[in-house]
Amino acid sequence: MEKSWVVQFMGLNFDMVGIIGSTLMALAVLFLCIWLSKKVEMKPNKRQNVMEYMLDFTNGIVKDNVEDVDAQKHLSLYAFVLFLFIWFMNQLGMFLEVKVDDWMVIKSPTADPVATMSFAMMTLLLSFTFGVQKFGVGGYLKNYAAPVSFLLPINIIEEFTNFLTLSLRLYGNIYAGEVLLTLIGNRLATSFGLPTMILAAPLAMIWQGFSVFIGSIQAYVFVTLSMVYIGKKVTKE
Amino acid sequence: MTVQTLFAASHHIYLGNAIWYLVIFAILMLLVKHYAWGPVSDMMEKRRQKIIDDLDSAASDRKKAETLANEREAALKDSRQEATKILSDAKENAQKTSSEIVANANTDAASIRKKAEEDAKKAKTEALDAARDQVADISVAIAEKIIAKNLSAEDQKDLVNQFIKGLND
Repeated sequence: MEKSWVVQFMGLNFDMVGIIGSTLMALAVLFLCIWLSKKVEMKPNKRQNVMEYMLDFTNGIVKDNVEDVDAQKHLSLYAFVLFLFIWFMNQLGMFLEVKVDDWMVIKSPTADPVATMSFAMMTLLLSFTFGVQKFGVGGYLKNYAAPVSFLLPINIIEEFTNFLTLSLRLYGNIYAGEVLLTLIGNRLATSFGLPTMILAAPLAMIWQGFSVFIGSIQAYVFVTLSMVYIGKKVTKE
Repeated sequence: MTVQTLFAASHHIYLGNAIWYLVIFAILMLLVKHYAWGPVSDMMEKRRQKIIDDLDSAASDRKKAETLANEREAALKDSRQEATKILSDAKENAQKTSSEIVANANTDAASIRKKAEEDAKKAKTEALDAARDQVADISVAIAEKIIAKNLSAEDQKDLVNQFIKGLND
């Protein structure tokens, strides 16, 4: 069993795997974005085209799920950064999993429920903020009893289920991907010497390709559902 | 399901990570906004505005061209009408002038003929008068010659008197 590298600082536990991975990927996202939009012109060049395509993609997610035009403007940046960040963190474990002895050093930060819950919590708090901004505290609380009052408990429970499904879906997909990849690489490949090693190579490749696909889908799903939850808070039912 | 099993993969609950993720995400968002998202979406908005402006100006240009074409067509129609009017006027004028000229010529010719006739008549009467005078003179001269032989002095005197009387009349 792998051991995680936990550092205690100011009474809080820090899991260095997640911190290293997320920091690296944040830097990757930042440099990619800066590189893509180095020269911004009226007639777009190739890099700007890529950047604008991604922006259009995330803006499309926002526009499809949030009807409020004012909220759309604010959510555009959030959706863009969230999508890229989660996508990069999902992919990190696919091609880079560093283990020193039994100590994990680098893997996907999103294969850890704390990371996904942090992002889900961020979305949840953001949805509260948008709802309160739109309807005021009273109006926002009243929306829990809408459209009919007996739905109040269900609407409250929904907040928890939204949070849990949003975070655990992403965590489960990426974690399972990594577990299977580790199984193929560590157990299957070494079980019967050379034959299984040869067998494990294409399997690992196939599974990696599939995981890239899953990572992209999950990033898309995460952003889409975030927008759905926020969008629900800013529209009157 | 206890919290412990939920976090089975990580053994500890590291709240530090959650804070770290939120902080790094916030920083990332700010930086991306400043360096990439802001300029690019500004440019996209600018381009959108430019396309809208271009479309608008194209529409107005087309409208302008349309009105211009209409005006030109109307002007062409007008000028054609004018041309036909001028042509017909000219024709009419020419006809009028020609008929006037013909009428004038006719009257002139008539007056000339009339004058000529009058002249001829006058010449004729004058000639006749002159001829009559001459005939009278000749006949008088002949008569004198005849009478000079037969006429007495008395008769001559009577004749002279008669003549003088006649003169007096």
